[in-house]
Amino acid sequence: MALFRRLTNLFRQRDLDRDIADELQSHIDLRVESNLADGMSPEEARRDALLRFGNPTSTRERVAAFDASLALAGFGRDIRYAARQLRKSPGFTFTVIATLAIGIGVNVAIFSSMDAVVLRPLAVPALDRVMVLSEQQQRGKQPVTLADFTDLQRQNRSFEDLAVLQGADYTLSGAGDAAQINADLVSASFFSVLRTQAFVGRVFDQSECQPGRDAVAVLNYGFWKRHFGANSSIIGQKIQLDQHDYTIIGVLPRTMQYPPAVDMLLPFAPTPAQLSDRTDHAYLVIGRARDGATLKSAQSEMQIISERLSKSYPATNQGWTIHIEPLLNDINGDLTPLYYKLIMGATMFVLLVVCANVANLQLARGVARRSEIAMRTALGATRRRIIRQLLTENILLALAGAGLGIAFAAIYLHLTLVLMPARVARYIPGWDNISVNGRALTFSVLLAVFSGIVAGLAPSIEALRIRLVDQLRSGSRQATGHSRLRSIFAVAQISLAVALVIGAALMAKGMSSMFHQADVYSPEKILTLHPELPAKRYDTPEKQADWYSNALDRLRSLPGTSRVELASALPYTDSGWQLDLTIENRPTAPGKLQTAVRLAVTPGYFDAFHIPILDGRNFTQGDSMHSTPVAIVSRRFADLYLSGASPIGHRIRLGDNKTPQPWLTIVGVSQEANYGLWENDLPPAVYTSFAQQPLSGSVITVFAKSEPMSLATPARKALASIDAAVPLDPVLTYRNLIRDNLVGLIYADSMLALDAFIALLLSAIGIFAVMANLVGERTREIGVRLAMGATKEDVLRMIIRRASWLTGTGLVIGLALAFALARLVANLLRGVRPDDPMTFAAVTITVVGIALAASWFPARQASRVEPMKALRSE
Amino acid sequence: MAKNDLQGTLDLLVLKTLDQNGTLHGYGIVLHIQSASNDLLRVEEGSLYPALHRMEQNGWISSEWSLTETNRRAKYYKLTPQGRRQLEAAQESFDQLVRGVRAVLRYA
Repeated sequence: MALFRRLTNLFRQRDLDRDIADELQSHIDLRVESNLADGMSPEEARRDALLRFGNPTSTRERVAAFDASLALAGFGRDIRYAARQLRKSPGFTFTVIATLAIGIGVNVAIFSSMDAVVLRPLAVPALDRVMVLSEQQQRGKQPVTLADFTDLQRQNRSFEDLAVLQGADYTLSGAGDAAQINADLVSASFFSVLRTQAFVGRVFDQSECQPGRDAVAVLNYGFWKRHFGANSSIIGQKIQLDQHDYTIIGVLPRTMQYPPAVDMLLPFAPTPAQLSDRTDHAYLVIGRARDGATLKSAQSEMQIISERLSKSYPATNQGWTIHIEPLLNDINGDLTPLYYKLIMGATMFVLLVVCANVANLQLARGVARRSEIAMRTALGATRRRIIRQLLTENILLALAGAGLGIAFAAIYLHLTLVLMPARVARYIPGWDNISVNGRALTFSVLLAVFSGIVAGLAPSIEALRIRLVDQLRSGSRQATGHSRLRSIFAVAQISLAVALVIGAALMAKGMSSMFHQADVYSPEKILTLHPELPAKRYDTPEKQADWYSNALDRLRSLPGTSRVELASALPYTDSGWQLDLTIENRPTAPGKLQTAVRLAVTPGYFDAFHIPILDGRNFTQGDSMHSTPVAIVSRRFADLYLSGASPIGHRIRLGDNKTPQPWLTIVGVSQEANYGLWENDLPPAVYTSFAQQPLSGSVITVFAKSEPMSLATPARKALASIDAAVPLDPVLTYRNLIRDNLVGLIYADSMLALDAFIALLLSAIGIFAVMANLVGERTREIGVRLAMGATKEDVLRMIIRRASWLTGTGLVIGLALAFALARLVANLLRGVRPDDPMTFAAVTITVVGIALAASWFPARQASRVEPMKALRSE
Repeated sequence: MAKNDLQGTLDLLVLKTLDQNGTLHGYGIVLHIQSASNDLLRVEEGSLYPALHRMEQNGWISSEWSLTETNRRAKYYKLTPQGRRQLEAAQESFDQLVRGVRAVLRYA
C-alpha cells in the first residue's frame, strides 16, 4: 500500500506540493488566531507564530521528502528527464522506436504463431504426458491391433488411461451439398486422456461405445463453424452419415482440433470379432502417462509387455514391439517445427541487427551528448547515476518500441491468418488459435528490456570513458576509440544481413523450382476434381467403373475441354502409398523388402503427362474387367527388381498376402515420372488401368482450352447429373493444387525474405550512419588535407576506401555464416545447393552496391568541405 | 532489543495523542502534547509535519481536509488499525527504554 501511495504521489507532484504548503500555512494561521485570542497585536501574533514554526520552506521540503521516498523520486526524475531528452531529438527517437518496433513486432508475431502451432497446438493440460503408442517390426511403425490394445490396457502400469482411435470416411447428407467427411471412431476414454470437455452439449461416455447405442456424434469446432455456422441449436438434431441417422450431442472447444482434419468424433463400438483380432494393425492408441512415469520407464514396461505378448501369441506377435512417442511430436511431424526454428532463428538475427543499429545510433548520439554528460559529472553526478539515466532512456525507448511492435505483430498475424487457404489451415492443429497472446507479450517485453540493455550498455560505458577535463576544455568533437565500436556494429549488421539475404534467396530459389517443376504440363490450364465414391453405394468395382466411365463421357462432351483423364495421383502432388510387391517365381531374400508405388490411370494419361512408353504397349480400351489384368511398370522397376531385364510378360502382385490381389501381367515399360513434391528419389512405379481396376477416389484432370476455372461449374453440374451425392472437392487448378502443398514453404520463405529485407535496410542505415558520423568527425582533417592540396577525388576515395573496408569485412564474415545457413536450407529443400555460386555472387554484388550507395552521400559531403570554413570553425 | 531512538518518542506521543482524541490537526496535536504534559514537553512545531507525513506514508495514520471550529481549513489526522498496533509496539518499546535507562542510572 505504502509503495503504491508513493508511486501515485510521483505523478501528482505539483498537487502534493501545494497540499503541504496549505497544511503548513493552516498551522501558522491557527497559531496566529490563538495568539490574537491571547491578546497579542496582529503583528506580534504573526511574528510569534513564524518564530515558533521555524523556516517554512525547509520544513516543506523535509515533508515532501517523506511523501515520495528518495529512490522512487529519483526513478521518476530519471523517467521524466529521459522523456525530455528524447523529445529534444525527435528524429533519433522516431528512428529508434520504429527500428525496435519492427524487430520486436516480427519476433512477437513469429513467436505467437510458433507458440500456437508447434509448442501448444492443443489446449490439453500437461500435453507432454500424452503419448502415442504404436507397434513396430522391421518394416516400421504401424498402428496397434485391438486385441493387443485390450491386453495393454489391462497389463500396463505406466498409463492412467489409454484411448483408441480409428479413422473412417463418411458421406454426410441431409444438410446442403453432400460432403465427404473425415470422422474418427474413438473410445470414451479419448476425452479423459486429453482432459477435454464439450464446448457445447456433452461428449459420449462408455455406455454409448457399444454396437447399437453408438449413433451419436461430437463435432469438431472448425467443422461446426464451417458446416453449421456455429449454431448451438444443432445439438440434439439428426444428421445422416452413409444414410444412417446420428444425433449430434456436442461440440469440442476450438483449441481441440485433434486429430487434425477430423470433422467429428463417433463412439468406437467394437464387435467381439474385432476385439480378438491380433493381425489388423488399424488402431491409433494414445495414453496419458501417470505422474512419475517417464518416457523411458514407460518404454521399458512396453518392452516387457511386448515380450509377454509374443510368447503368448507367437503366430501374430512374434517380432513386434510396442513403441512410445510424445503426442506433440506426432502432431507436429518433422517439417513444421524445423521451418519454425528456421524462421525464428532468422528473426532473432533481425533483432540482433536491430540492436546493433540502435546501439549505433546511440553511439552517434553519445558523441553529441558528451558535453552534457561531462557537465553532469562535473556537477557531481556519479557514474552509477549516469549509467542508470542512460539505461532508463534505452528501456523507455524499447518499451515504446514494444508497444508499437505489438500493434505491428497483430496486423501481421491477421494477414497470415487471412492469407492461409482454409483447406490447408484445417490440417494444421493450432492454426486457428494464433493470436498475440500473453506469453508473446511477456516475450516481447523481455526482448525490449534485453535489447534496451544491450543497445544502451555500450554507449553508456563509452560515455564514461571521456576524460572530463579534456572534454570541457576543448568542447569540440574529435575522433576517439568509439568509432571502432561503431565500425564493429556496422560490420556485424552487414554480416547478418548477408547471411539472411543469401538464406532467403536460396530458399526462394528452391521453392520456385519446386513450384515450377510441373510447368511442362501447363498446370494453370488444368482443372482438377477429386471425386470420392461413397463406399456403401459403390460397393463393387463394376459400379465404380460405371460411374467413372459416365463421368469421363460427360466431361469430355463439355465445350471448352480438350481432354479429360483420370489418375489416382498427379506428378509432384503426392508420392502415394508404397505397396508390398511380389514377383512371380522370384522369391525375395528374407528381410529384404520389395515395394512400389501404385498408380491407377486412364490410357490417355501417359500422353497427357508426357510419360513415354519405352517398351511394350499402353493400356487400351480392350483392357477391361473381363480381360487379363495388366500393368505398366517404370524403368526403375525393371532396373531394381529384374536386374535390367525386360519385365514384359512377368507377373506381379501388389499388397500383402492377407488380402489377395490379382496377378498383373506386365505389358509395358514407361519412363520415370516424379510424384513426390519433396523427395528426390523416384520409387519404382506400377501403373494399372483405371477401367480394369477402379478405385473409390481419384483425381479427374480436365484440360481446358482457355480459363479452366470457368469449367468448374459446368463440370460440377455434369457430374451431379450422374449422382448428386458424390463429393468432388476440392475443385481447383493443378497449379493451385501444387501451391497449396507448398504453402508452408511459401510462408517460411516469405518470412525469411521479410527478415532479409529488414536486415538489409537496417544495415544500409547502419553503414550510412557510420560514414556520416566519420565525415562529421573528420571535417577538420579533411579541411587540412584539401588546404594542403588534396583533390576532391582524393577525399572521396579516402572515405569510400573506409566504407569498402567495413563492407568487405562484413561480407567475409557474412558469407561464412551464409554457408552454414545454406547447408541447413539445402537439407530442407530439393534443388538447393549450399554452394550455389550464382546466388552468392548476386547477393554479394547487391550488398556491396547498397553499402557503397549508402556511403556515397557522406563521401560526397566530405569532398565538398570548404577548407577555410572547416579550419575556422575550430 | 527495543527500538529506543528519540525520534520514536515523537511518534509515540503523536500516536498516543491521536488514540486519545480521535481526529486532530497538527496544531491541535502540538497543543495537546503541551497541555497533557503539563507544559513539560513542547513539540518543535516545524518538525512535527515531516513526522506526520512519514507516519502517513507508513500507513499508521490517515488524513483528511476538514473545517475547524472557527471555520478554517485544516488537515485532520486519525489513527489507522495499523497505527494502533504500532502504538502498542512503541509503548512497549518505550517502557523498555525507560526501565533500561532507570536501571543504568541506579547503578551509576
